[in-house]
Amino acid sequence: MKFILNYIRKETWSPYVAGILLGLVGIAAVWASNSLLGASGAFENLAGLIGKALAPASFDNLYFNFIMPPGITYGVMMLVGVFFGGMIGAATSGTLKWGKKNAANSDEQWKRIFGPQTWKRWLLAFVGAIVLEYAAGIAGGCTSGLAISGGMLLAPSAFLFIAGMFASGILTALLIYRRRY
Amino acid sequence: MANLFLALVFGSFFGFALNKAGLTRYSKIVNVFRFTDMAVLQFMMTALVVAMIGLYGLRGLGLIEFPNVPGTYIVGNLIGGLIFGVGMALTGY
Repeated sequence: MKFILNYIRKETWSPYVAGILLGLVGIAAVWASNSLLGASGAFENLAGLIGKALAPASFDNLYFNFIMPPGITYGVMMLVGVFFGGMIGAATSGTLKWGKKNAANSDEQWKRIFGPQTWKRWLLAFVGAIVLEYAAGIAGGCTSGLAISGGMLLAPSAFLFIAGMFASGILTALLIYRRRY
Repeated sequence: MANLFLALVFGSFFGFALNKAGLTRYSKIVNVFRFTDMAVLQFMMTALVVAMIGLYGLRGLGLIEFPNVPGTYIVGNLIGGLIFGVGMALTGY
């Protein structure tokens, strides 16, 4: 018991242990609610909800009516859960930096590569997130919704997506890091 | 309603696992593309293998039915993946 408690307090688990936990959660999600884990779809549901309220005409299309209907869906609730779950994880290891100095830009490696400015981190995160969400819309899911959940069911799309993701990810990292790669 | 509550519970376990594996950090994500830290792959593939065994086993026993499998459309999945990788290496998502 003490061993388990101590392990929970550890900041970084072995990825294998965390992976087993995620695998079990994935099984439980299918068993108990016949749904898959996912994150990116929730943003589209929320965007549809806001868009339909502000500009109903431009959001009255095939995509937001049928493929990603707006509303507080299963995915949205899961996203809220992911946020708090991550917070609990950080709190148990004592690395929760809510409101502390440099909390928004605490990654040493990032600072070494891009510089210490916080606004840069936020700007790049924003731009990168637009790229991510756009790509997830095209592919039909993100790392969790397509690669992990689809892979669990041995969906071919998941493995195509993983192949594409790593090919361009490695290339982008090469371009950013250049000699420091 | 009960389903939405379950989503919240599963989501928090999901977030917890991600945090403990260190995937909430930029460096962990980008280092997998530099081949200096393979935590992302170790985490993802372990989750995949565990869930595959569990899901196919349970389906074999007739206890569950699979939800809608994500559709395969080769060009969309590949191009989506290619653009996704750029965003992933930039933000560390």
